[in-house]
Amino acid sequence: MMKELKRLAFTRKRDMRLLYMLAFLYGGLIIGQAWLIVTIVDGVFLQDRTFQWAVPMLAGLLVVFTLRTAVFHLTNRTGLKMASSVKQQFREKLVNRFTGNSMQAASQGQSGEKVSVLMDGVDEIDAFYSHYIPQLAITYVVPLMILAAIFIINPYSGLILLVTAPFIPFCMILIGKMTQKKQDEQVEKLTAFSGRFLDSLQGLATLKLFGQAEKQEQVIEDASLNFRDATMNVLKVAFLSALMLEFISMLSVALIAVEVGLRLVIYQSISFFTAFMVLILAPEFFNLLKNLGTAFHSGRGSAAAAKRIEEELNRETKEVSWGQAEMTTGGKSPEIALKNVSFSYGGDRFALEDVSIHIPSGANVAIAGPSGSGKTTLLHIAAGLLAPDGGTVSVNGRDRREMTEDSWFRHTGYLSQHPYLFSGTVAENIALGCDNNVNRGQIRAAAEKAGLGPVAASLENGYDTQVGEGGRGLSGGEKQRVALARIFLQRPSVLLFDEPTVGLDLETEQILQASLKELEKESTVITVAHRLHTIQEADTILLMKDGRIAAGGSHRELLETSADYRRMVHAHHGGENE
Amino acid sequence: MKELATVIRLTAAERKGILLSLLFGFTAAAAAVALFAASGYLVSKAALVPPLYTLTFTIAFLKFISIARAGSRYAERYYSHLATFNMLSGMRVYFFRKLEPLAPGIFQRHRSGDLLSRIVGDVEHLQFFFLRVFYPPLVMLLVFFSTIFFTLFFSFYIALLLLAGLIVTGFVIPAFFAWRERRLKRGVREKRGRLATETAELLFGFRDLKMNRKLEDQKKQLTAQSEQYIGEQEKETGQRQFSEAVNTAAGLWFTWSVLAAGAYFASIGDFNGLFLAMLVMISLTVFENSAPMASFPSHYEGSRVAAGRLEEVLDDTEKVPDPEKGSALKEGPFSVRFASVSYTYPGETRPALKNVSLTIPEGTKTAIVGPSGSGKSTVMQLLLKSHLPEAGEIRLGGAPVTSLTQEEIWEKTNTVLQENHFFYGTVEENLRIAGENASEKDLKTVLIDAGLESLNLTDRIIEKGANLSGGEKQRLAIARAMLKDAPVWVLDEPSSSLDAVTEAEVFEALAERADGDTLILISHRLKGLEKMDQIIVMDAGTAVEAGTYEELMERKGYFYRMKKIEKDVMM
Repeated sequence: MMKELKRLAFTRKRDMRLLYMLAFLYGGLIIGQAWLIVTIVDGVFLQDRTFQWAVPMLAGLLVVFTLRTAVFHLTNRTGLKMASSVKQQFREKLVNRFTGNSMQAASQGQSGEKVSVLMDGVDEIDAFYSHYIPQLAITYVVPLMILAAIFIINPYSGLILLVTAPFIPFCMILIGKMTQKKQDEQVEKLTAFSGRFLDSLQGLATLKLFGQAEKQEQVIEDASLNFRDATMNVLKVAFLSALMLEFISMLSVALIAVEVGLRLVIYQSISFFTAFMVLILAPEFFNLLKNLGTAFHSGRGSAAAAKRIEEELNRETKEVSWGQAEMTTGGKSPEIALKNVSFSYGGDRFALEDVSIHIPSGANVAIAGPSGSGKTTLLHIAAGLLAPDGGTVSVNGRDRREMTEDSWFRHTGYLSQHPYLFSGTVAENIALGCDNNVNRGQIRAAAEKAGLGPVAASLENGYDTQVGEGGRGLSGGEKQRVALARIFLQRPSVLLFDEPTVGLDLETEQILQASLKELEKESTVITVAHRLHTIQEADTILLMKDGRIAAGGSHRELLETSADYRRMVHAHHGGENE
Repeated sequence: MKELATVIRLTAAERKGILLSLLFGFTAAAAAVALFAASGYLVSKAALVPPLYTLTFTIAFLKFISIARAGSRYAERYYSHLATFNMLSGMRVYFFRKLEPLAPGIFQRHRSGDLLSRIVGDVEHLQFFFLRVFYPPLVMLLVFFSTIFFTLFFSFYIALLLLAGLIVTGFVIPAFFAWRERRLKRGVREKRGRLATETAELLFGFRDLKMNRKLEDQKKQLTAQSEQYIGEQEKETGQRQFSEAVNTAAGLWFTWSVLAAGAYFASIGDFNGLFLAMLVMISLTVFENSAPMASFPSHYEGSRVAAGRLEEVLDDTEKVPDPEKGSALKEGPFSVRFASVSYTYPGETRPALKNVSLTIPEGTKTAIVGPSGSGKSTVMQLLLKSHLPEAGEIRLGGAPVTSLTQEEIWEKTNTVLQENHFFYGTVEENLRIAGENASEKDLKTVLIDAGLESLNLTDRIIEKGANLSGGEKQRLAIARAMLKDAPVWVLDEPSSSLDAVTEAEVFEALAERADGDTLILISHRLKGLEKMDQIIVMDAGTAVEAGTYEELMERKGYFYRMKKIEKDVMM
């Protein structure tokens, strides 16, 4: 994964060229700085030079110091820019993934985890480009320059460096290999933890009712401490590698100090100038290698995060495919047919098998059956939210895959048990499905038809009242009316209802039923329902059982032909004093 | 500063960690300075060709310091990180504990995506508090003061220069950037929060967005928000890099001035040139300790904002007061009495209940019916003491709710909410919330009684029970309530997503289990209520009628009318 990220960096040729140029400059400045310091100290300390002699040199040193910081800063800046652009690329890919053509991409797995990948996963990529890559460019260039400089002035010191330095990458690779697995484990734990925490928070009310909230505290603490231990284990190895690097470099510098000290004193074969210069340059040499070590570890974290992102991007889902043709209705509600449709969520939990339905233009079909028999899945397939594993969905005799997604959804309305209200005003939520700016009058009219009028009147700011995530603050019936108003505004010719009046009281239901009836007049309708009074008037009722269509026909026909249906109807009337 | 009070308190609890981090931090930094000083001294001394033994001594000293430095650095890192993670764990638990009493209300105000981003992100962010804010300045001061003290033996002016350097790089420059930083940080956090919220919204609202062809818009919005967020991050990091560059440059300039002053004083004979190399080396090294101060303002500001936001979440919800000790709710099923109870949800203007009086004798079965928004669920919320009434009194088993703790009420009730939460895990784990010690047989029995033969105990449930159908969720919630087996049942539309066959079966099993218990059923359906001891009819926040099925039908009031509607629809 690290290679992959690196490759991505090197495709940015201009940035990399700039980084290398800056690195050369940086190396030159480090050597120049050492030379100036040594010359000044040597001059004043041993050559008895005057202060006037040192002035130009001091001026030069001031410039070098300043330039050195400036060049380093520019290097960092370049890395930062690179990081920003790569992060945006990754995030766009993820967003594309989540907004793909199948409901599965958005609903698979924990959404807390998905949020975390998009936020933290991408943010963690940052360090690789803003930290590791610039450091890498510097380390490729500058230590070699320093080594060359030392070789020129004192080959023996150069040899010591040459022998000891390879221990550093060796150690780095060794320790890196040891940490990699742990690091990956740790990232997994972090991910799981983030999902668990959201889950606990969302379920807080439930936990409290069952007296389990305190236990959850313990769960959080345990998870936290496990997380700490996991992180500490990784860090310990990272610290250890830093310790090794430090030992190696200290040892090497001390060796050089002894070497130059002895040659200076006993053999008198080198000058103070050379010795001091070597002593200033040698630590710089090791510092750069050490910095790369630190940068390498943050790069590792990025690689692990990149792997998480990659996994999310590669997760298998079947996309719903669309074509180029516009769906046209010719002012008539379309005819819809499902042919030999099958679908499975994977695993052994549930499957739809070989479902075929034909719905004539303007017909009203109800899908009934026990809960868990696949009614909602079937509706999702009919809606174009899930791609069937096999079989086709056709509209007016034409395969829906030839039509554009936009034109299909423009003609389709969906009302579920739990409509989602977005943060915004009631009016904004109603206008959600409309392309162009609808005016307030149209919104109001649609809302009135959906029975939202009295509700809006009782709200503080009427249609401009803010509703929160999931439409909190409105009751279930009120949310349902907002969703219904959306449909009234849009007037689709295909209507898909997933038990929209479930959970509502009779009076609200009656309002909704009346509204729905008006909508149904002009549309082809598929309703998932288990309420008899909702489906009784359907032209055709399909009875589902275990992912198959067990029986089909009108209410009267089914009463005669299907025992399952009779049982259902009986239960509905059960207990009535009639 | 006020925002950080809790964080400081939790950090201070790690006393040992702090002391060890400080000790080793100082040793490591001081050793580095000593190391460079010694090597500078070594070459200078060697240039004068001294007796060999002084050199040998310096070299040995060099080695010793090298080892001390590497070891202390390791120990410092270890202890400081350990202390940090302990503090973080404390912070999470503290936060959860504080949040817990606010549980139902808080979700009305905060979006869960935002909460996630706040709690996980902000707590995570606080790890920098100890590592980058709390102890680096202390280490810096210790090292600088000892270095300046040492320098005093060689040159007063150079020591003075170092002191000035400390003030400029350690305080003046960071303070300047802190002043500029203040405005930036909020931007990043806000943009981050918004992006996280929008992402959560996208995931939860996928179907509605998709069907309404708003997915593209949401996508564009997310992309734009990500760009803004990254832009803010870049600005923030850029600012930090700049302040680091300025700080490094200032440190180097002070080293330059040390060299210049040393050269000058040596040339006029006020200072022994032998020590010039040493002091230059000291200066080069000691300013490395003020480098962390460059990022101090951004980390300080970051911690302050993160801590502030965490406190904010806790601050804006009021808690329902509980007495120290409950007044012992009576054993077995209890009665419920509302006397002229009124209630308005915080932040709303419409009262949810207006002057409601009702009596539910112990061991009886009561149904509460009425149109949506009529206050049925609010009756349940108040009876569970999730909120306290504004006016009027509620008594459970004769005791006023104000004298009871929430826990003792909940302990004695089996509750099924309209929307029940299921956790990521197995079916068994989700059931066990209601009965830790239940046998596997019990677990299987409640599943069967709730009509969930199709589920295995080991089946996976994903977050929020998203892989269960509406009916399965309701039945699982009923199974959970059955397992708890408390003497009072509070069921809020527990079967609205069930088909008629399943509903009848589940209710039969439920009636058997609830025999002799107090049972309160909130329902939108009017059938099957004939067996109830009492039906309470609510409309627009008031209790309009109460009585048995026959009584209400005879009275030909609100209930009768609703029943007529139901029959009409049935035709």
